[in-house]
Amino acid sequence: MSKKLTILITIFLFIVIGLVPVIAMFVKSLFVGGHFSLESYSLLFKSRQQWHLLFNSLFLAGSTTFITVLLGVPLGILFGKTDLPGKKIFIILFVIPLVIPSYILAIAWFYCLGRSGIVSGLFGREIAVVTLNFLFGFSGTLFVLVSICLPVVIIFTITYLRMINPKLEEAAKLSGQWFFVLRKISIPIIAPGIFLSALIVFILALGEFGVPSSLRFDVFPVESFIQFSAFYDFNAATASAMPLGLIILFILVAERLFLRKKTTQMTIAKESILKISLGKAKPFLFIAVCVFTCITVVVPLAILVKKSFVLWAYKEAFIGSIDSIIRSLLYASAGATLIVVFGFFLGYLLEHRTFRFSYAADSIAIFLFALPGTIIGIGLITLWNTRATNFIYASAVIILFGYIAKYTALSTRFMAVTFSQVSRSMEEAAQILEVGWIKRVWGILVPLVRKGLISTWLVVFIFCLRDLDITMIVYPPAHDTLAVRIFTLMANSPEEIIAALCVIMALITLLPLFILGLVTIKRW
Amino acid sequence: MVVKIKNLFKYFDTAPAVNGVSLDIRQGERLVILGHSGCGKTTLLRMIAGFVVPDKGSITIDGLLAAKDGKSVIEPENRQIGMVFQDLALWPHMSVYKNLEFGLAAKKISKNERNERISLILEKVQLSEFSNSFPSNLSGGQQQRVALARAIVMRPKILLMDEPLSNLDYDLNSMLRKEILKLQEETGITMLYVTHDRNEAFSLATRIIVMKHGAIQKIGSVNEIKMFFKY
Repeated sequence: MSKKLTILITIFLFIVIGLVPVIAMFVKSLFVGGHFSLESYSLLFKSRQQWHLLFNSLFLAGSTTFITVLLGVPLGILFGKTDLPGKKIFIILFVIPLVIPSYILAIAWFYCLGRSGIVSGLFGREIAVVTLNFLFGFSGTLFVLVSICLPVVIIFTITYLRMINPKLEEAAKLSGQWFFVLRKISIPIIAPGIFLSALIVFILALGEFGVPSSLRFDVFPVESFIQFSAFYDFNAATASAMPLGLIILFILVAERLFLRKKTTQMTIAKESILKISLGKAKPFLFIAVCVFTCITVVVPLAILVKKSFVLWAYKEAFIGSIDSIIRSLLYASAGATLIVVFGFFLGYLLEHRTFRFSYAADSIAIFLFALPGTIIGIGLITLWNTRATNFIYASAVIILFGYIAKYTALSTRFMAVTFSQVSRSMEEAAQILEVGWIKRVWGILVPLVRKGLISTWLVVFIFCLRDLDITMIVYPPAHDTLAVRIFTLMANSPEEIIAALCVIMALITLLPLFILGLVTIKRW
Repeated sequence: MVVKIKNLFKYFDTAPAVNGVSLDIRQGERLVILGHSGCGKTTLLRMIAGFVVPDKGSITIDGLLAAKDGKSVIEPENRQIGMVFQDLALWPHMSVYKNLEFGLAAKKISKNERNERISLILEKVQLSEFSNSFPSNLSGGQQQRVALARAIVMRPKILLMDEPLSNLDYDLNSMLRKEILKLQEETGITMLYVTHDRNEAFSLATRIIVMKHGAIQKIGSVNEIKMFFKY
């Protein structure tokens, strides 16, 4: 099979699996009773509730982005550029909330600040009323989302700081203190990276379903889910999903026009980066970071562990949910493998620009990644819920399709970066020796990018494992994953069992992260 | 004629990288393309190899049309060309033997013939005892010889060399130049060599092309080009 054919087939399959369901959903929402009608959309614009939801969604995403950047950039500079002790441990701790299912943190804080939570036990019910008011609604949702999205800004800041040519900072250091150098040189240089991380946080917060639905804050993804699964109102669900789709499309077009070149032109500097000595401020900053890490990461996880610390809880959790645990692992493994295959060829396409429409394929992948999972889920059901395609709709295949639609962008970008590290002449040397495309893939490309493949697989595996938004909508009977099971059991099961399930979920998600650390440790 | 190039153009953005080049490469000659960085010599080489498609003009290899006016007719793997890359492109996960064997195996050449060809070429480049070594364990000069051996073992119609000696020190550079000359004379292979170094060009070429701003400035024998530069 030729290179062009392989890549064309990959693009075709990706479009069918990912984009066609979203288009089908939109087209279907334009017809009521078999006739063309914009009724759902006119209701959307007339309804005060919809405008309220739009405001809530944008305000939550905007506030999360603002606070995350405000905290994440200084933390990224501290971890990436200074001699702060224990930096690697801090980075790992901050990453944990991002990789575990988002609503687990919300559950943990509920066990702390809720009516029968730890705070209530220690300080009485009156205080619990105050903490409960804080937790449920905007403030609590914002707090949890900031904890989850913070590592995105931290990691981007660290990565982009590593790309600064140290000579630029050395030249500035001759005329000013580090604060001046950071303000005038380093931060302006990495500004496109910070802006990109802010966009990602905004998109993640805008599409978030687990936290707002757990902490009862009305936003569009929750409304779509309710309209679809509680009221079975397909058109209303689609109409409530569309504003988010349009906003995301607008953001991505803006990113492509104004940010793309600036964020991709930078590469890791060959020289080692200049380090800032914190001097006397080191112990104070260390304590401050410790306290902040405890509040955002350690305390909620410790609460879960404490809450689950009864043997029967784990026994019950395992007995009742072993099938879901196994399914989670199986579906995430299968999903990650398929997504890596898609990412391999699409990443190759993006890096080598084999066709003129290379960026278009990438844009579709990014658009689907940015789209709330609930929208993709509704789209998948719209397309595949027919008698002829029941084998897809009523099986795990629809879950895998959801994973492919949502997370292929991750594998595409990771693989494109991996391919950029491999000299093109490696493949050309085989090509000129009359070696065909498939043999070049297996004999040259795969061995040369194997570390990137393993890392990509593990990252995608984590994202599939933690997925709630898509799986919650599309899973057929007896196909629930652990993330879905915890979410559905949350309201009517003993807290100890839920806590135990959350700990199990966190552990099976963190295990690949640990392996990923081992795989990439040599690169760092 | 091994290669016939007719009125070749290649544009990157709007600037022409190769600007109306016409050229014949004769059987068994050592043709050197000489020019400064950015003069279009590597682009021309890569168009002959098939990695870059010309926007205008045609390339004919051994009587067969390989590329014409924005279309590649013959893919690189079917042009029967050998190439030594500037960064050598030795596959780091394969031993010297495997690096040489990969192309032969893809061509479904029998195991016996593969062994025979590889032993012969490794002997020629004096690397027989390194056949199981990996590229990272070889010196710069040894790596150059492996790259050369890998290109020649396929018995290509033409050997393209893209500044393969540019990263080496003077002594190693002149030693390898002699080895390339010896190998080319022994095999009689047609060679197209790209360099910015006049000494390299004068010591290797039977004919030299001087390129400037994507176009051919002068074609001639070594002596003619020496005169041209008042060397």
